[in-house]
Amino acid sequence: MSILLENISKHYGQQVVVNNVSLEVKDGEFFVLLGASGSGKTTVLNIIAGLIPPEKGRVSLHGRDVTYLPTQQRNVGFVFQNYALFQYMTVAENIAFGLEVRKVPKAQRQRKSDELLELVGLVGMGNRMPHQLSGGQQQRVALARALALSPDVLLLDEPLGALDAKIRVELRRSLKNIQRKSGVATILVTHDQEEAFDLGDRIGVMNFGRLIEVGTPKALYQYPKTEYVASFLGSANLLLGHIKDQEVFIGKQSFPMPDETYNLGSNTRAQILFRPEDVALAKRVEDLGCLPLGKGKIIETGFNGAAERLRVDMPAIQGVRAISPPVPYGHPGLMMDVNRAPEQSTNLPFNKGDDTWVGIRRLHILSHPGLSFLLLADGSLRSQSAISIGGYMARMSHAQVMLLGVGEDRTRLDTFLQEAKKELGSGMASLEVQTSSAPVTSAISEAAEKQHFDLTIMGWRPTAGVQQLEQVLRSIDHHLFLATQPSTRLNRALVCLASGEPGKDTVTFAGRLLRHIGAEATLLTAISASQNDEFSRYRVDRFLDDGLNSLARFGVPAKKKIQEGNLLEAIEEERQLADYDLIVLGAPLPDPHAQTSLSGVIGTILMHQENVSFLIVQSHQYQRMQNQLRRIL
Amino acid sequence: MESKLELPVLRRSSKGHGQGWLLRLPGILYLTLMIVVPLLVIIQDGLREGIAELIHQITLPIARHAILLTLWTSALMTIINAVMGLMTAFVLVRFEFPGKRVLNAIVDLPLAIPTLVTGVMLVMLYGPQETLGNFLANQIGFEVIFAPPGIVISLLFISFPFVVRNIQPVLQELDRTQELAASTLGAGSWKTFWKIVFPALILPLTSGSLMSFSRAIGEFGAVVIVAGNIPLKTQTAAVYTLGAVESENRLGASAVSLLLTSIAFLILITANAIQKYRGRKNAAD
Repeated sequence: MSILLENISKHYGQQVVVNNVSLEVKDGEFFVLLGASGSGKTTVLNIIAGLIPPEKGRVSLHGRDVTYLPTQQRNVGFVFQNYALFQYMTVAENIAFGLEVRKVPKAQRQRKSDELLELVGLVGMGNRMPHQLSGGQQQRVALARALALSPDVLLLDEPLGALDAKIRVELRRSLKNIQRKSGVATILVTHDQEEAFDLGDRIGVMNFGRLIEVGTPKALYQYPKTEYVASFLGSANLLLGHIKDQEVFIGKQSFPMPDETYNLGSNTRAQILFRPEDVALAKRVEDLGCLPLGKGKIIETGFNGAAERLRVDMPAIQGVRAISPPVPYGHPGLMMDVNRAPEQSTNLPFNKGDDTWVGIRRLHILSHPGLSFLLLADGSLRSQSAISIGGYMARMSHAQVMLLGVGEDRTRLDTFLQEAKKELGSGMASLEVQTSSAPVTSAISEAAEKQHFDLTIMGWRPTAGVQQLEQVLRSIDHHLFLATQPSTRLNRALVCLASGEPGKDTVTFAGRLLRHIGAEATLLTAISASQNDEFSRYRVDRFLDDGLNSLARFGVPAKKKIQEGNLLEAIEEERQLADYDLIVLGAPLPDPHAQTSLSGVIGTILMHQENVSFLIVQSHQYQRMQNQLRRIL
Repeated sequence: MESKLELPVLRRSSKGHGQGWLLRLPGILYLTLMIVVPLLVIIQDGLREGIAELIHQITLPIARHAILLTLWTSALMTIINAVMGLMTAFVLVRFEFPGKRVLNAIVDLPLAIPTLVTGVMLVMLYGPQETLGNFLANQIGFEVIFAPPGIVISLLFISFPFVVRNIQPVLQELDRTQELAASTLGAGSWKTFWKIVFPALILPLTSGSLMSFSRAIGEFGAVVIVAGNIPLKTQTAAVYTLGAVESENRLGASAVSLLLTSIAFLILITANAIQKYRGRKNAAD
């Protein structure tokens, strides 16, 4: 393994620039870090080179831990974005600088720089000064200089970014050749997808400091795991549909489950991806050659040289929401991007306004659907807590955020939302704002009916009582985060599981969220004194071990704790031992027949714990258990 | 059809005769009256009795000693100022420390303080009756006041900003990635400084040093208070000139003045040429 990064993190002030990045680059591999500007990719490169120290994590080069070694001792070749050629030295002196530092004799330096000038195709230019060279030539000199010391790894920071498109394509090819010849493990940083696909043996996609996915260009394009990568690479048709009994449903139309199956559960929402070239168009449904999705109308046509690009407008499908391409506000239907090869467009020409059947040849299910937050703002001090902590979690987890302003005084609400937007600031994956003058509970349930959310985040104080919370929980089928203080500190979470409780959903969702935030967790359970026998202890212990395993899968560091007594006492005892910022509780999902009640343990905990935020995970499992019980009874 | 952007340059041909001259004439006249005429008068007066007499006047023992003293103290000051000014600029640009902004503002103060006041301050610090001056004179045997070290110190004080202020902006705009690149190639900070940073500072350092030298050779106020007016010991050229004027030795006064002026003028031309070269080089890059 040439380059090994383990859990690298870096902050600048409040902002997370690199968030828990782990990465392996094999010997001789050409690895590309791809991301928009500000995604932290250059910082990762600087950390590998030792130009910036990481706050957390380890960097190893060829099995040697270099985390605390100065740049000078790491033997990395680095090409900077602006080339950083030494302005007061000739080209040859630039290339031989590293050798001069190592006191290599002059004749040998000369030979090496001639050799490298030949490698990069600049023979005879050794005596020029850097400012006498063109951008492309300067870039080649920078590459030769970086290779002069036969580095262990080569790091390239947007090396082609400042060049003309034509030279860029030409240099790309020679860069790949030079890398192959030198056989040195290379990381190239770029925001240019085409460059990444062209050069990378593997690509890592970064966003907001996180390494979201790593894979070969083909795997990332055809089988992405996350919504971000699916929509960032190329163009994507991404819908929110449903999986039931090993079949994929888009509305009523079912498709066979694709080969790459994951354990997503048997009856669940799923993000469905199909690329524009996977869409079939035909005048008659029999001619599609694949399963039909429905009828649509061509609304845009275009041609880019290699393919014909069409956009199809389709009527809305019950229970299906479009994620990409985005549908204009107020438009009832779905949009579909289609690419067709030239011979297809000759055989079956389409014009704007034509009707067509739409079919899907191949689809893919995202295994790591993104998180989606509903952030509640009513202008109160409590909702400011919700905004700062919700914004922080959204930035860290790259969640989509709907900011829901609730209040009757329109002008006051608008100023508040304006401030909230400013506080949320940049770094959001997507931020939508809606307002409502309805009471809080109905506003939330209206929003949740239109769109799927994973988490509602609202401000709360124990003095407000639990009555409103009960109503909110009754009206949503997702989880609830109660922010109690303006601090965004979320370092340690106490996940409370009543013994014997089906707490798997609680642990799983906590893991999904904590993974992004980089917090650690303690799984806590209480056993009553009467149950405290060896067998019960063993069972509870096993149960907690399962939880630890599933948290480990998310990369969340965790430990377990079993206390005797009731849960409230256990929580209080545990909070005295360590500084917890978040308490995670499980709650049954609302049932149309039953009333959610917080008057039990959960309500007591909520009312009696101060200076801590709460995450209430609503579980399907309770519902299933209750249904079973009902059947048995 | 080629269209070119015309810049509104005030040229004789562009807008009749009168209008351009209305602005130009007073400017030229002012410059001539204030600077060229006095210079011409000095040249004329110094050369009144011929070159031989001029040389005679400046080689008289007292005059010669004053001139040499001026030149060597200024030269020594320039060397110290170059080294320390470079260091100060580096610290002010590259490091963060409490009070940095205040210190940075103080750099320009010597230009604003009357040089006589500077002299008084230094006497109060280094005078034989003062603690520091007493310690230096009696314990170390290093006399500052009424001795050449006093001259060098006062010259250092008054010309402090020249080197620092010349280097600071260049250092500030220097591309740091070149230094990072050097470190990835194994160069330590010392090597990086000499090979990468220093070459970029040579020109501003030279022009700053030359400017401080030419400022120093004419210094009167601070020197006369700190060094006194002891012929053949601490009397500098400027102080000698005052004495000559007061004793109505007009020829001696103008001869030494002419020499000082010529040296200053030569240095100024050199410094300007360096600045110009820098400008051209920057434009070429």
